[in-house]
Order: sequence, then C-alpha cells, then structure tokens
Amino acid sequence: MTAPYLVVGAGPTGLGCAVELATVYPVELIDRLPVPGGEAGWSIPEVTALMAEARHRGVRFRLGNAGVRWEPGRLLVAGPGRIEWLPGERLFYAGGLRPATAADQSITGDRPAGVLPATVAHHLLAAQNRMWDRLAVIGDGPWATTVATRARAGGSTIIAITRGCKAPAWADEVTTQAAQITIVGRDRVRAVRVRAKQQWADIPCDGVVLAADPQPNRNVTGALHDDSPGVAFVQPVHPVSVVERGEAGRRTARSWIAANGGAR
Amino acid sequence: MADHSQFDVVIVGGGVLGAAVAERLSRTSARVALVEAETDLAEGASKGNAGVAVSYYGAPDTQQTQLINASNPGWEELTGRLDVPFRRLGGLMVALNADEGQRLEETLAEVHACGVRGELLMARQVRDTEPLVSENAVAGLLLPDEGVIDPMRLTIAFAWLAAANGVSIRLGERVLGIEHDGDLSSVITSCSRLCTRFVVNAAGVEADHISALAGGETLRTWPRKGQYVVLDRAFGEKLTKIVFSTHTLQTKGSNVVPTTHGSVLLGPTALDIEDRDDRATDPETVAWILEHARRLVPATAGAYIMKTFAANRPAGDETHRLRIDAKQPRLVHVTDRSAGVSISPAAAELTLELLNAAGLDACDRDGALDALPRMPRLRTNPDPVVLTDVDPLYGQVVCACEHVTAAEINAALAGPVAATSVDGVRKRTGAAYGRCQGSLCQAGISFLTAMSTGKGPASVLQTARGTVGS
Repeated sequence: MTAPYLVVGAGPTGLGCAVELATVYPVELIDRLPVPGGEAGWSIPEVTALMAEARHRGVRFRLGNAGVRWEPGRLLVAGPGRIEWLPGERLFYAGGLRPATAADQSITGDRPAGVLPATVAHHLLAAQNRMWDRLAVIGDGPWATTVATRARAGGSTIIAITRGCKAPAWADEVTTQAAQITIVGRDRVRAVRVRAKQQWADIPCDGVVLAADPQPNRNVTGALHDDSPGVAFVQPVHPVSVVERGEAGRRTARSWIAANGGAR
Repeated sequence: MADHSQFDVVIVGGGVLGAAVAERLSRTSARVALVEAETDLAEGASKGNAGVAVSYYGAPDTQQTQLINASNPGWEELTGRLDVPFRRLGGLMVALNADEGQRLEETLAEVHACGVRGELLMARQVRDTEPLVSENAVAGLLLPDEGVIDPMRLTIAFAWLAAANGVSIRLGERVLGIEHDGDLSSVITSCSRLCTRFVVNAAGVEADHISALAGGETLRTWPRKGQYVVLDRAFGEKLTKIVFSTHTLQTKGSNVVPTTHGSVLLGPTALDIEDRDDRATDPETVAWILEHARRLVPATAGAYIMKTFAANRPAGDETHRLRIDAKQPRLVHVTDRSAGVSISPAAAELTLELLNAAGLDACDRDGALDALPRMPRLRTNPDPVVLTDVDPLYGQVVCACEHVTAAEINAALAGPVAATSVDGVRKRTGAAYGRCQGSLCQAGISFLTAMSTGKGPASVLQTARGTVGS
C-alpha cells in the first residue's frame, strides 16, 4: 500500500484535482476550513457535485486542518486539538488565491490603520454593518464587487481606484488609469493620492480596501517554490468560473497520471 | 507591592533601551516605572530597524564600542533566557570594486582595533561563504560574530520580565512635565503623577523634549528616516549571511539582512528629516533600495517583495548618549541612533552603575526572576505533534503563512505587557508577517484582539494609534 496523494485546498480546483487523482491513487484532501468549497462556498451545486464524485471515488476528507510543513514523504497538518504528520506520496497544492498586497501593487506612502486586504474587509463587514463613510477600493479583482456592495449597503460611499480603463459598476466615484498610488494618513488613513493621466489628486477616504489582481497563495513550508521537491501547484489565477477551476484541477491531475504510467 | 505612585526611577520611553534598563533595574531593590506615550512598546526605532545585533559598528575606544563588545558574546544566553529569536549568522561586507576593496582593508584594521573578529576574503572565498553574493565582488570582510535578532520581541521580553519583577509598565501615558522639589521629582503624565528620585531619558528621538521638560541640557535630536523593503521567506531560506555594503565615509550603506522570521530586509536608507511622524515610503527610494541590493545580491528580485516600510532612528548631535545630564544630576540619558539593540544589555548594566554612582543605592535582589517561560511556536518547533497536549489551540492555525496558532495569539493577548492591537499581536507572534500580509488571518486576529480588549470588530485597534474601522 503506497502512501496517499495529498491535495491541500478543497476549493473547486483541489476537488477537481482530488477526484481525478483518485481514479488511480489513494487520495487525502486537506483544507483549513471545516467545509469544502473554499471561496466558492460549500452549498453551490458545482461544489456539491464535485463532493459527491470525490466521495464516490473514495477520497478521504481531512477538513479543518491546515497544511503547515512539507517534507518529501510527509505533511504536517494542524487541526482542532491535533497536530500530526500525514504520510504522503506527493503534494498537490491548490491553496487558492489572495488579493494583491500593497507591495504587489507598488503602493507606497504611509502605513496607517484602516487599510485592509479585501478578504479581511469581507469578513469584518459580515460582522459589522458600518465600517467606513468613504471607502476607497483599489483594484477590480473578484473580491471588489462583494466588498463594495456590502459596504455600500452599510451606508458607505464607494470610490473605485483602478489601473485599467474600465469603470467598475459597483462604485459611486471612479478614478481609472491610476499610474501611481500612495496611501496618506499618519494614524488613520485619510486619503489615497493617485497619479492618473499625468495629474496627482488626493481622494479623501476613511478606509482603503486592497482588491486588485488575485495572486497564488503559497504558505506550506517546503512547498513554496515551483521546483519544491514532490510538489505540484494548481492555482489558476485568471478569473475563471467554478466549473473551469474544477477542470483546471482535473487537467493537472490527468497530466500527472499520463506522465506516470497512465490510468489504472 | 510597593506604592505605585512612589518610585526610585522613572524611565521615559518603551523602546529597546528603556525596556532593557527596566529589566535590569527590576532585579534590584529599586522601585521602577516605565512610561511610554504610545499604546504599545517598541513603536519607534525599536520596531523599525534591521534587527542586526552587530559585533562591529564604528571607531574603537568609544563607549558605544565598549558596550557592543560587552553585549555581543552574551546574546545566545540572554535570548535563551528571554525566549527571543536570535541567530548568529555572521556578516559579510562586500567590496564591488578596487576602491571598496581598499576601504575594506581600512575597515578590517578598525574592526581589529575594536577587538572584534574579522577576516578578509578573496573574491572566490566570498562566494563560497555566501553563494548569492554578486560575481562582481572583488573582496569581502567576514564578521563571524554578527547576529540577527527580533528587536520587537527583545523589547517586549525585557518589559515583560521587568513587569514580572514588579516594574510598573505604563503604556499610553505621555509625559507632560517634570517638576523638581529637592531630591524628589514628579513626572506628570497624561494619566498620573509619578514621584521619583531619578529619571532615565530613553525617549529616542523625543530625548530633546524630555530633557527640556526635566530642566536638563539642551539636546539636539532629529529623526533620520530609513526606508526598508521586506522580501519573502521563499527568498530568505536561500540566504545564509547578513550581506553589508562596504562602509563609506558618508554612510554605512544599505544592506541585505535575513531576519529571524526567515524573511529578508533590504535597507535602510538614511535621510535626516524634520517631521517626527513622517514614516512614508516612496517609489523612487524603494527602487533605489532594490537596485542597491541587487548589486550586492543579484537574486533579490522585486517579485519577492512583501512590504515596504519606513522608520525613524533617533539622530542627534551625539549619535550615542549614555551619561548623567550635565545640569540635572538625577537625570540619565540613554539613547543610541542606530545601535540601540546591539548595546542594550550592557547599556542597561551601565545605566544601573551610573544611577548607583549618583546615589540610587540599588542592590541586586534575591529571588528576582531572570528568565521568561518559553512559548512554543508551531512554525519553529522541532516536535510539533506534542503541542496540542500543551494547549489544544495549537491545532488552530490562524496565520496560514507564518503558521501562528490561536494558542500563540491568545498568549500575546494575555500577560503583563499584553497586545492591545492587531499590530501588537503581529509584533509578539509574527502573525501577518508573511507573503499574504494578513489577507487570510487579519480578520481572525482582529476578532481575537477585539474579544480580548472588549472592543467590536470596527473599534478594535489595528495599529498602536488607529482602529480597524472608522
């Protein structure tokens, strides 16, 4: 009995990858959240279909466990009340995406309170209706719409600041073609200073949300580099549907299987 | 417990030097308070530095060099007692042309004159020692006793041990005035009036202000702004040495420094400014830092950048000032522009000697604590599977990049110098130090901090000065 193939990330990509690997290998699917689906959510039909298929193929679920450290042959996972090494033949990493950080976007300036990644703003808005009067949302990534819509429902005016030319539909005020972005505010953020079309302007705000281009999230020690031994990465970056993400996971698994002796 | 309004020594400033002095005095008979204007410790230069515990910094025969020499051999023992991350990586000063090679030889002479170990390396040896150094290196100076330390953890640990030994740590109290009446002084803060025999001025860039309030000498201090770029652990795990540029007469240059967390700091720059609250970065300087770092270590690609930040070190007419005030015999100044971390243990010892010479008359106290309990960390623990027996919450990873657990965060939110902000948790645990910069964990940390401080998710402090929501 060989050690199972480990898939970290039970979003659509990881599910698709696990389902396909399970046609040939024993598979264990790991996610830090207690439910599958990742950012797509656990209750949508595409995810429940993938779940049913995974169960049918004998995928073992280990939810509520965070992958921590990979050494070829084993993965350290931490879950409620229990930290353990899981034997693993290979690691398929489908850890999803995160919003671009200020550094990713070359945003400089002050580092005051009130500047949040979109994923964080999303959680906080879910717990508290009104966070800001004038919220500047930088970028038009997949989280921008949700955060802007929720914040506006809570009474905030939404200002969009984007690098591109397209004005997002979710904003009350828009600055496009931002070439350079600077945060202004000593204790709390009070403005975003933007150079657009050769003009500098201070856009007053009392909160900033970073919601630009999604970046692959890598956080398992020993599985950070494209060439980390024993690891394959499945993190489709471009905005794709839940179904397409599942397919991307399947494709990665299939090409591994094809390159390593084909299906059973 | 002593009457807390009556002290022998009031220390002004909760940076690394103030906290080190508090810790040293806490093991004596003296009654001590530490007053810090910000809501957390290590909010000035002590959080905005490269975290190098240097073996060599400057000219021989100075008090600063004596204090560095006295502090340097003890780091393993001290950081072991205080549960502070420290790695003696060794430093490599790199010459990229013949002029710099000449300058390195002069530096080596100074290093030896300081009584510090140093060895000149040929180009090939430089790259054998640190393969990531540029092929253009013509020579190197190996300084084997240089180390990296977590300066925030060091400051907080000093203060924590001081508090455990009975020192009153008073955060968020700004000193408004200092009055003298015979042999006693009153330090009037935004919250209280502290009666004391001695005042230690460890206020960093505010040292001029505190000296003026105390009727001491007219000091000149100003902020020297330094910008930094932080690179991901994915790059940091390849780098094994601190890489310094060759010192020139103008500046000690911008460096490439692995941190104890595994990330890499590039910088700092040095710009004397007037505005003490100016901690802004700018794209031109960030680009300069990257370009400069690439000359030393070409693999430092922009793709690894996690964040940029700026901080102000306390520059002044004296770059190092540890002495009794010339006008006020019961006022002791303890400031260092750039080497505060590196001198802190010995500076605290010397401060006690100065205070005793001035009549404090403090003697070491039996039974004083000299160590903190070791807090296991999931990320670095060699035997992580047993941690859930210590606390089941070790199984709950909050910060996915740095693998900081709820057990570690709750510990940071408890104790005598507990975190009261998201940043405070970050400084104590390393949560949100990683690549995603809190994208995954900052909501969780905000909630834990809000629960611990009795605030809501919008009104909880994000930084020492500002809340998450408005």
